[in-house]
Amino acid sequence: MSEEIPLTPSEEDQALAAELAIGLLEGDEAAAAVARLSEDPDFAQSVRDWQERLATLAEDLTPVMAPARARQGIREKLGHVQAPLAKDLNATAPWWRRPFALFAGFATLAALAAFLWLPDQASRQPAPGQAYTAELVTEDDALRVAARVDGRDMEIALEDGSAGEGRDYEIWWIKPDGSAPISIGLVPREGSLRMTLPEGLDPSEEIQIALSDEPEGGSPTGQATGPVVAIAALTNS
Amino acid sequence: MIARVAMGDRSAFDALYDVTSSKLHAVCLSVLKDRPEAEETLQDVYIKVWQNASRYASNGLSPMTWLITIARNRAIDRLRARRSRPAGMAADLAETVASTEPGPESVAIRAQERRMLDDCLSAMADQQAQAVRAVYLEGATYADLAEREGKPINTVRSWLRRSLLSLKDCVSQ
Repeated sequence: MSEEIPLTPSEEDQALAAELAIGLLEGDEAAAAVARLSEDPDFAQSVRDWQERLATLAEDLTPVMAPARARQGIREKLGHVQAPLAKDLNATAPWWRRPFALFAGFATLAALAAFLWLPDQASRQPAPGQAYTAELVTEDDALRVAARVDGRDMEIALEDGSAGEGRDYEIWWIKPDGSAPISIGLVPREGSLRMTLPEGLDPSEEIQIALSDEPEGGSPTGQATGPVVAIAALTNS
Repeated sequence: MIARVAMGDRSAFDALYDVTSSKLHAVCLSVLKDRPEAEETLQDVYIKVWQNASRYASNGLSPMTWLITIARNRAIDRLRARRSRPAGMAADLAETVASTEPGPESVAIRAQERRMLDDCLSAMADQQAQAVRAVYLEGATYADLAEREGKPINTVRSWLRRSLLSLKDCVSQ
């Protein structure tokens, strides 16, 4: 960190553009640089070039799949769905158990499913239709989780057991190439979880699925922090 | 795809989410290091994408850079709000600045630079490369770096500015 010859004016401009693009400027300096964006096209171009250059760092991050409820939350906030699909685990009197509501419930769900499913299918390549399963069981047999993959759709079902107080089981997708495991979500507290596999995750018999014991909400770093409690390869079914 | 999202095409928006959400979630998580906060931020990011898609065409960034920039800025805003610091307004405005469409030549130059970036970072001194990554991927500020290095802010700043300039020289060779 030695002091060297001062920067030339064009180097100063470049450094300023980099600092603006990366968000290191504060206060008056930040305001002045932002004002310059609309007055000085060359400077604005330098800032964009820096944004492009630096975005490569983010593209190299290991993808971490977001839980299905994130997409549902977005749809609800944008008004793309009318009713929540997620059931409230704290509800004391589940409405779907009431007989008169059952029929109406099914009708709503069917309509919602058709709405969610149809535009989805239209925009996607037809799934190859290969189906795989993996049965994840802990050594003491206390936890059983079934994973099913059909084309690009994946379902994780909790069959037996539960995460400890303040803990969650996180699901990892492990490629045979030795790259870092990719988080694809958390084992649901009950029932099953459905998701669409993100690009880059291609099911095959070489893929292993693992569960690790993590703090509630999942690993805070995006990499497994707790012990792996179960692991199994996908098998063609 | 973003053009179709701009026209209010929900299936295009869904498809965009499928292809990009795990990457943007990783960006949010890298900055925030907190699962629930990253998930909320991710939701904010896609809401902003849906609302601002019509302005995308004029900003001159490649699609993935635009998305990453939004995700990173949202996550950093949140990080700094958590530390009760003024939010990083500047970078957020930078993402909406208008420009002309980049020509094929500049697209090729950018692709070339992206390939070089990793090599250039590994060629840099570890300390410098780590600082650049900490700022971009974890939202570190000059004050954070100064604390980490045990040096005055001005020293750290001039050092990081030079690091960034040498990175640029390296990738654009």
